[in-house]
Amino acid sequence: MKTWLGTAWVLVWKDLVQEWRSRDVLTSMFSFAVLSLFIFNYALELSPIDRAEIAPGLIWVVMVFAGTLGLNRSFAAEQDQGSFEGLMMAVPELSVIYLAKMITNLLMMFGLAILVIPIYSLLYNQSLFDLRFFGILMLGAWGYSAAGTLISSMTVQTRMRDLLLPVLLFPLLLPVNMAVVKSGSAIITVSALPEFQSWINLLLVYDVIMTVVSLMVFEYVIRE
Amino acid sequence: MKFEAKQLCKSYGPQRVLLNLDLSLQSGEVVCLLGQNGAGKSTLIRLLSGLLKPTSGEITMDGMLADFSEAEVRRKIGLILHQTFLYEQLTGAENLQLYARLYGTKLAEGDLKQLMARVGLGKVRPVPVRSYSRGMKQRLTIARALLNNPQILLLDEPYTGLDQQGSAMLNQLLAEEQENQRIILVTTHELSFIRQVASRFAILHRGRIAESIPNANLSLDELQERYNAVVNYRAKVQVEAVS
Repeated sequence: MKTWLGTAWVLVWKDLVQEWRSRDVLTSMFSFAVLSLFIFNYALELSPIDRAEIAPGLIWVVMVFAGTLGLNRSFAAEQDQGSFEGLMMAVPELSVIYLAKMITNLLMMFGLAILVIPIYSLLYNQSLFDLRFFGILMLGAWGYSAAGTLISSMTVQTRMRDLLLPVLLFPLLLPVNMAVVKSGSAIITVSALPEFQSWINLLLVYDVIMTVVSLMVFEYVIRE
Repeated sequence: MKFEAKQLCKSYGPQRVLLNLDLSLQSGEVVCLLGQNGAGKSTLIRLLSGLLKPTSGEITMDGMLADFSEAEVRRKIGLILHQTFLYEQLTGAENLQLYARLYGTKLAEGDLKQLMARVGLGKVRPVPVRSYSRGMKQRLTIARALLNNPQILLLDEPYTGLDQQGSAMLNQLLAEEQENQRIILVTTHELSFIRQVASRFAILHRGRIAESIPNANLSLDELQERYNAVVNYRAKVQVEAVS
């Protein structure tokens, strides 16, 4: 277990250092997110009440779309550099590659949330600085990264990987999307709080199941 | 140690690449796998390293079926393919440190310098691999393959990108590893270089090892002649059979 987690950490470190030095994915993800928020701001003229109601949905949609850019590259970068097979030969268990990629994608989503929330608050004149809301976004990001990393490992082996990833991933994210938006709305509009807990439960169950199942099937997915 | 492929078959859809191939490799042996383009040399290397699953047949290590889902089995193999397996944004030393950690070993500063020096990269500045030349990347790839002291070395076109000095360095390394009783399988078209260290030549033709030739001081011309004889004879036989 210690070796497994240690190896995952080494791979996360490698991904973060690579990304920090190239800034390929971060730049495109962050600029896409900021541009989307600007476009929504000009396209939708909303009253303060409407703004509060759509805030969780809008932020989550921006994060999901921007995050897809990162997901697309998480395995494609390995494939393009031809280093994936090197990893397969060296790691103690192949599932550790999945775990590391999932953590890296989750950290990217974390960075995205930190960027998106203040910009939204500034543009829409509505404070979203609420730890509970941030926690919900992170729970959603966990489920998103868990499912997205697995689908990304499948689509990277196809020619149409950029197109296939969202087509396969978005239907799978339906429970996450609903849970994040509903529970986020409950916090921001201070309404329907009794339902809040059930959405959080759904998110937690989805995250755990998706992570465990993905860890179990990853080896079969990447092997021929 | 004995590393064997028994009745190995590999098909990609209707295309059959390897047909009941048998190959036996012993410790201290440098076997050069020869064959035309598309003969299946790279496919065989990928099968022997566990990166591909055979359609049928088996791969054994000391008579035991090789289970490539086990890290212990995979880590017995040092592999060079057409891709370098290197990370472009990391320096050469960082790449080696990374792979050492993945293999679960710690590479001390002295060992790292020694390994870099062994492949002729001892005096290279710590710059990202993306700024390396093709030859330098290949040297680093060789160092990466030797990193965990593997018992088996599977080298697909290892001379690619190397200059005369680099090729001589690789030959020197192969000779040293042979003395260390490693099993070494090399595919290459650089006959003039590999001839200096190979114990025998295995000619892969039409999915099988068509001939195994011991390297008993064969001259380059003799080797070329034997190779052409196998390839052309079998092609001729097939043409006659068809007609």
